[in-house]
Amino acid sequence: MIGLLEIRRRKFQFALIALIVTLITYLVLMVNGLGVGLNELSGRALKNFNADGIAYSDKANLSVVRSEMSQEAVGRAIALPGVTAGTPIGYFAVNIRKLDGSNAKVKSAAMIGYEPGTIGEPGVTAGRKLAAGEGDAILADKSFLKLTDLKVGDSVTLAYRLTSRSFRIVGEIDQGAFFFQPTIYALRATWQEMKYGDNAPGQPAASIVLLKGKALPGLIGDGYRIVDKDTAFNNIEGVTSQQSTVDALAAFGYLIGALVIGVFFYVLTLQKVAQIGMLKALGASSFFVFRQLLVQVFVLAIVGVGAAVPLAWLTNNGLQRLPETVPVAFTTRTFVVTSIAMVVTALVGAIFSGRQVAKVDPIIALGQQQ
Amino acid sequence: MPATLRVTNLSKTYGRGEQAVYAVRGVSFATEPGEFVAIVGPSGSGKTTLLAMIGGLLTPTGGSIEVNGRDIAKLGNGERAAYRRESVGYVFQANNLVPYLTGRENLLLMQAIAGGGRKEARQRASQLLEELGLASRADAFASRLSGGERQRVAIGRALMNNPDLVLVDEPTASLDSQRGRQVVRSLMEEVKSREKLGIMVTHDMEMAALADRVLELHDGLLKEGSAASV
Repeated sequence: MIGLLEIRRRKFQFALIALIVTLITYLVLMVNGLGVGLNELSGRALKNFNADGIAYSDKANLSVVRSEMSQEAVGRAIALPGVTAGTPIGYFAVNIRKLDGSNAKVKSAAMIGYEPGTIGEPGVTAGRKLAAGEGDAILADKSFLKLTDLKVGDSVTLAYRLTSRSFRIVGEIDQGAFFFQPTIYALRATWQEMKYGDNAPGQPAASIVLLKGKALPGLIGDGYRIVDKDTAFNNIEGVTSQQSTVDALAAFGYLIGALVIGVFFYVLTLQKVAQIGMLKALGASSFFVFRQLLVQVFVLAIVGVGAAVPLAWLTNNGLQRLPETVPVAFTTRTFVVTSIAMVVTALVGAIFSGRQVAKVDPIIALGQQQ
Repeated sequence: MPATLRVTNLSKTYGRGEQAVYAVRGVSFATEPGEFVAIVGPSGSGKTTLLAMIGGLLTPTGGSIEVNGRDIAKLGNGERAAYRRESVGYVFQANNLVPYLTGRENLLLMQAIAGGGRKEARQRASQLLEELGLASRADAFASRLSGGERQRVAIGRALMNNPDLVLVDEPTASLDSQRGRQVVRSLMEEVKSREKLGIMVTHDMEMAALADRVLELHDGLLKEGSAASV
């Protein structure tokens, strides 16, 4: 009761502390959002694959870039007992070139080769799907269209090896990026032609194989090795270290939050020693006083975090409008987890003051008599 | 329940050896229910120390303080806090109100600390504020009250939980003597009507003369004969 009244009666002081909580929470939210954003850029396309397991070449060390699978290995993986569906997928990095042929701003894209009508086919959010044999058309990810400022119906030239090839964009997809490149989906035959020059037997038939079915991850056979999507994702080059960097930044954010809030309340407690002594002289237990403090910290944390969440959300919306995408992305989970963690952090910070409260001797209520 | 107090051979020493200061040296007295006692004496005679020990704020070095038959000299910290909130109403010399609470809220604070019914507490607070002539100032912040008003709020707070012992430390410090006497009189009425016990420390002999009995303290010792009624 007295803790809450104090907040109401000394709004300015407490608003300042809440502001600090807001700023720190905002920082941690943005760092975590950056982590999610970086992860999405690393391989949301991979996470979006409709698969229970992904087969790599057994020699590729779970690298999509290095994985090359023969027709036979693809067939063996798909023929495994328990597989209900499977389809070969090709990966190839290409450069985007404007129609005028200028190389002014060369950007790369991740071309995914797939078979229409299989689990490898992405959902189309605008336009249409690729028809069988349609070798001069692609589906382009939203991020690709944003990056190139193209739309469905436009043409784009993709440069690869020493040549280039023009495609019509017939459909928009929302599969996300791969290796920090926007994805484009083409027919697997197109992919094979571009990457290996021809479709002759003996050429690799796929980079990886998407598989549906039970108990597939962990299986290793002649020319293939199957893992689940999470393992596949974590083995994308750089993902693990990137994640630990982001986690470390967030951890520092929490640590700083706990320290700052802890110090604020510690100072506030020191300032109130006389008042705490008086409350104790009236018979209040240390726990009673500390409880008021915890209630205050809790309220401030809720208010501070409550202000930071919309702020981060607005920032994110603003960033998405920029032409160059800043890799910040928020999930509900980011908000919920960060908010709860920040409130807990604030309460942990307040514990420093608990000892101080316990140490106050009620005798000081008698005044400064010698 | 009528309140009784029996102080036996009570002493308080600060420090040790040559540095030792004997603040209270073997004080004994007992009171009747409904009695209002004044403790007088010069500065440094141990009055406030004696009051603080009876109020459960200081642990005696020796002796016993029996309140309703229970020796509170030997209580642990937690039990002493419980004793203070349940049995003692202390009016500190410095008043010590919570500045950002209103007068009424300072009274209701006791209910928050000690528990008990909220509705009863509100009624009691209103009644006390009325009796102390604070009805019109009850909802002003303590920081805006005059010294005398604060003193009366502090007295109201001391009476909130219906304590067995009402302890008052130098009530004239911030009251003009006329107003002070009036407040002390109403405090005495409260103590008598409920058969509780009042102890007031003062160096104002006029004020002390209002009490049923005056104890005179000198260098930590009760002066002979001072236990007699005035």
